[in-house]
Amino acid sequence: MMTMILRRLAALPFILLIIYTITLTLAWAVPGNPLENPEKRPKPEVIEQMKKQYNLDSFPRFYVSYLSSATGFEYAKDWISGDLQRERIASEQAGFPPPARPVFDLGPSLEYDDWTVNEIVGGALPVSITLGAAAILIALVIGVGAGVIGAVKPNSISDLFTLTIAMIGISLPSFVIGTALLLVFAVLVPLFPVGGWGGPTKAILPAVTLSLPFAAYIARLTRMGMIEALGTDYVRTARAKGASERAVLYKHALKNAFLPVLSFLGPATALAMTGSFVIEQVFTIPGMGQHFVNGVQNKDLFLIMGVVLIFATMLILFNLVVDVLYRWVDPRIS
Amino acid sequence: MSRMLIPVVVLVALVAFAIFGDRPQPRADLTFINSSEVNTLDPQRMSWMHDLRTARLLFEGLVKNDVLSDDFTIVPGVAESWELSEDARTYTFHIRTDAKWSNGKPVTAHDFVFSWRRAMLPDLVSDYVAMFMNIEGAQAFYDWRQQQLDAFVDQDFEDEDQQRDAAFALWELTKSTFDEMVGLEAIDDRTLIVTLERPVPYFMELCAFTVFAPVYEPLVAQYERPDPITARLVRRPGWTKGGVLISNGPFELTSWRFKRDMRMEQNPHYWDRDSIAIRSVSIPSISDPNAGVLAYQTGSIDWISDVTSPYRGDMVAQKLQFLEEHKERVEELRALGYDQFSITRMLPQDPRAHTHAVSSFGTYFYNFNTKPRLPDGRENPFADARVRRAFAMCIDKPAIAREIRRLGEPSAHTLIPPGSIGGYTSPKGLPNIGDAANEEERQAIIARSKALLEEANFPDDFVVDLAFNKDAGHDLIAQAIAKSWQKSLGVQTSLSQKEIKIFREDLKNKQYMTARAGWFGDYGDPTTFLDINHSKDGNNDRAYNNPIYDQLLADAADELDPLKRMTLLSEAERIIMEEDLPMVPIFHYATIYMFDAHKLTGLSTHPRTKQNAFLIDMLGDGVGPDQPRPMNPEKIKAPQQTAQGATP
Repeated sequence: MMTMILRRLAALPFILLIIYTITLTLAWAVPGNPLENPEKRPKPEVIEQMKKQYNLDSFPRFYVSYLSSATGFEYAKDWISGDLQRERIASEQAGFPPPARPVFDLGPSLEYDDWTVNEIVGGALPVSITLGAAAILIALVIGVGAGVIGAVKPNSISDLFTLTIAMIGISLPSFVIGTALLLVFAVLVPLFPVGGWGGPTKAILPAVTLSLPFAAYIARLTRMGMIEALGTDYVRTARAKGASERAVLYKHALKNAFLPVLSFLGPATALAMTGSFVIEQVFTIPGMGQHFVNGVQNKDLFLIMGVVLIFATMLILFNLVVDVLYRWVDPRIS
Repeated sequence: MSRMLIPVVVLVALVAFAIFGDRPQPRADLTFINSSEVNTLDPQRMSWMHDLRTARLLFEGLVKNDVLSDDFTIVPGVAESWELSEDARTYTFHIRTDAKWSNGKPVTAHDFVFSWRRAMLPDLVSDYVAMFMNIEGAQAFYDWRQQQLDAFVDQDFEDEDQQRDAAFALWELTKSTFDEMVGLEAIDDRTLIVTLERPVPYFMELCAFTVFAPVYEPLVAQYERPDPITARLVRRPGWTKGGVLISNGPFELTSWRFKRDMRMEQNPHYWDRDSIAIRSVSIPSISDPNAGVLAYQTGSIDWISDVTSPYRGDMVAQKLQFLEEHKERVEELRALGYDQFSITRMLPQDPRAHTHAVSSFGTYFYNFNTKPRLPDGRENPFADARVRRAFAMCIDKPAIAREIRRLGEPSAHTLIPPGSIGGYTSPKGLPNIGDAANEEERQAIIARSKALLEEANFPDDFVVDLAFNKDAGHDLIAQAIAKSWQKSLGVQTSLSQKEIKIFREDLKNKQYMTARAGWFGDYGDPTTFLDINHSKDGNNDRAYNNPIYDQLLADAADELDPLKRMTLLSEAERIIMEEDLPMVPIFHYATIYMFDAHKLTGLSTHPRTKQNAFLIDMLGDGVGPDQPRPMNPEKIKAPQQTAQGATP
């Protein structure tokens, strides 16, 4: 298991490098000038200088400089060579503030003057992770519950009912569900606030909305797995030796039926946690999803690259965690 | 299976911790929303209207506008008095002793020198740098610094240390050069002397503009340093954050969470704190227009400063219907001199009354590319003013305002909204098919336009392209204009919808034939609109170049007599609106507010759309005088009691 983890971790930088290269190439090719301000515009010579300062005038230079500062390589290099300390001392002597040097520097936001990408991500990521985790938990409870109910009596009324709900959960877009929930539970019956973030009341509606497609998928996976497991020899044996129906269902069948759900949970968690633009819009949540969309729209290169790198890292890591859990739950897999 | 429960339990605990640990703050006295996230709270770098509106809560300049008066009177701010020299070029400002930063330190004349110098540096890319170029030597200093920076980059250095030292030295030199070159001087802590390049009749207006507000040097200097490689002064974001920012206005910033919310509390050191009737302000970030209206309707927002939801046309229609139901009372109150907000306050409570359409200091127009050749190399028929005139007359402007915008906006015949600038007379503008009294008159205008096209040899099979960016209903307006042109002039049209960034870039590079645009004025002088058509202006997207027009602007700049100056500017606007038509104005913008006039007072109905939100008083909350604050109270004919008596 240890070698598996190490091997996967060793592959991480290479995968990230490929993603980085593809994304940057695409983002670079998008027409439009990121320094162009919608209202008033700086003089052309100033734009040229800013381009130079941010390396926006040369793809290879930007490619290398962004990579090395985002990965912490630049920081490590300057720390080892002593440049960092020298620069600080020289600044202090000249009466200037020391340079701001975070270890992993995702750069400035070109669109939002007062924020660095590190700050933007630092504020948005915890919100998205919390919301995503809450949604996945809700999805697990609803999904596994509905799946088990359906599997116990396949093709019964309750099975059809849960299947229908699951179909709706998968097919209805979240802005419809979200807006409907808002209208019912915030405007008509004012149980919850209409939007924003902070405190449990504001988290419930968006978490439920975000969880529904995942819950539906989990329900279908659980149902299929359970139906299959309930027909196997070991379940028949368990029943034959007199195990209670409850024990058969939860101890024997579900354990195996859960494995496909578990493998789905890796990418699902990453997806839920990196934010959803639509849900963030409907419920006014300060999460990560909007930065994907706005970053591309504004051609805010630093922001695009920052969120893409973080999303990619999360996706890879969650898949790894799930694989580890997989082996832990089911030691037969090696 | 029990093994599986462990990670689930851990996850539940973490989520619960994160959610319950993030407690919302208590409701602020005033909660309002802007149409989008504040871009920056650095006064010298601002340009967005909502940035400026937000910053006016935090910063106070030398003077400010009395936004509740019709003429936007200049009233004292940090400066308690000022004198203008006889040649109208030198202002002496006297800083009040009780002007304080939010940390209790006094605001000094040196703070203004420091702040204005920031704006005059090419390094920090201030959007409004041109306004500072009115100060003597500012342009020369700007050019000098730019030249030094260019030379620095080309220079060879032995090593990085040497380069860094040189960059630092250049900055020291820049500071002393600024003091020598620029006509800005702090004689002592309380006296600021500003010498202008030439008399600028609207200079006090500029001083009331937030970009001229001071920042706190000991704080800001901590975040700015010359870049060791380019020598440019680079800024590090950070000082505009809650708990860090030190400001001198009515409020201090306690928190700013990106795309989440901003919160301010009263600045205990503000000199005029007794006039402030709200203790705290909260500005949540709600970018979705529907979510904003919902939040208002459920009571969590007091004021939406710009309603952009798609159904706002219906909201305005309902408000008009409400006013219609109380027509007599409305007219009676209007005759007494009450503004529209006060009138709504004196009518019975009604949810429809919460919508308010206020005229804005901005105009929606279509640009013509006036270059001799089109981007594809063909000859450009729009280089001929006659063609532009013909096309301008044949847009049904009132129909666009009435049927597409539906916000009660007036159709426009001039670039500057009429009546928005005191002492300025707008030209008449061209006739328009939409204003024709009858079909005969309409046909006459069309015939006149066709004759113009004929005269100009407008090519027969020419396809006119209309470019616009893809949001906010610009597509519908483009379609309406295209239809107008097809029907009345018989020309073919095509529509080009573009992403905003690409659209802007195309405008700047003149990669278009005709294109939508809009402009909002920054200060109360016609030049805020007229300058964009100067042949050398950075915002002249039309490549318009008329030496007579440029000369009129130059003459106006040299004219000392305010009356004659306005006449010159009016003539300049006449040229672009009646003869040359580099752009066709379509309508003057209105902004839609949502607030309950029975609960909130202190907003201005002036067409300059500048709100000083610190004037707001929430009626009946027990904080402040809880008295209505109407526009021009001295001009209202009825006794004040009427206004108060009607408040439930």
